[in-house]
Amino acid sequence: MKKINFILRLVVGGVFVTAGAVKIWDPGSFANDVANYRLLPNMLVNLVTIILPAVEVLAGGLLMAGVWKKPSALLIAGLMAVFLAGIIQAVLRHLDIRCGCFSTIEARRVGFTTLAEDFGLFCAAAWLAFWYKG
Amino acid sequence: MTRTLKLALLITGAGAVLGLAVNTISPHRIPFIAPLKAASLPTDFIQLADARQLWQSGAAFFLDARAPADYKAGHIAGAYNLPAENFDAHYPEIATMLTTDAVIVTYCDGMECDLSHYLIVRLRALGYRNVHIIQNGWTAWRQASLATATGAKP
Repeated sequence: MKKINFILRLVVGGVFVTAGAVKIWDPGSFANDVANYRLLPNMLVNLVTIILPAVEVLAGGLLMAGVWKKPSALLIAGLMAVFLAGIIQAVLRHLDIRCGCFSTIEARRVGFTTLAEDFGLFCAAAWLAFWYKG
Repeated sequence: MTRTLKLALLITGAGAVLGLAVNTISPHRIPFIAPLKAASLPTDFIQLADARQLWQSGAAFFLDARAPADYKAGHIAGAYNLPAENFDAHYPEIATMLTTDAVIVTYCDGMECDLSHYLIVRLRALGYRNVHIIQNGWTAWRQASLATATGAKP
């Protein structure tokens, strides 16, 4: 069980560090992705674009390093819940948009694959945040 | 649990500071508050059917306003990349292929994308008179199953 939790932490943390790192330095394309979700007022789009990748890197890094495991897992689970809501509303509104999950390094559109993946990540993070002892 | 929640908020706060700091030093930084959306005139837009006809006849020059990485991942076949966010660096290369009366069709991706708008504003200022936008261009083009290409070349 210990090993599984360790691997889970590395995978979830690694995905977050990667996703944040590719967006943090060059936020232009990601800002466009955020706007295309049509969720946020125009005024907030850039702030979210600037802050979100850094929070992802930090939370993912802490989870991988094993520092503040529960808080970082909780934060990641919370973010995944928000991303899931964003994708679900996009699918329901028939928005054919790029996921933006990893910004420009992947051209995937939102849909059931991205939903399934995000749900998996959400479950893993929630497990680490709530049920994992150690 | 309260302690966990507090620490999670602390990480969020630290992340916010880190993000704002990185954006201040990054050469690709964006303004903290996005400027008001630029309004394109209804006459700036070209219908997809008309754009398709121009594409088939070869009478128009297609310009992709998105970042090079997006262009590489997929673009309208034959379109050249002129990233609106880095116009000055890429324009000289494109300029050699254009005359001011060329028919130019620009596009980016998504209903909220205003890169093509910035592109036509810059092009008009340089004297190009016949410039158009396909709204939600890349998505509309793909949905219509029209010809696309990948890679850094048109």
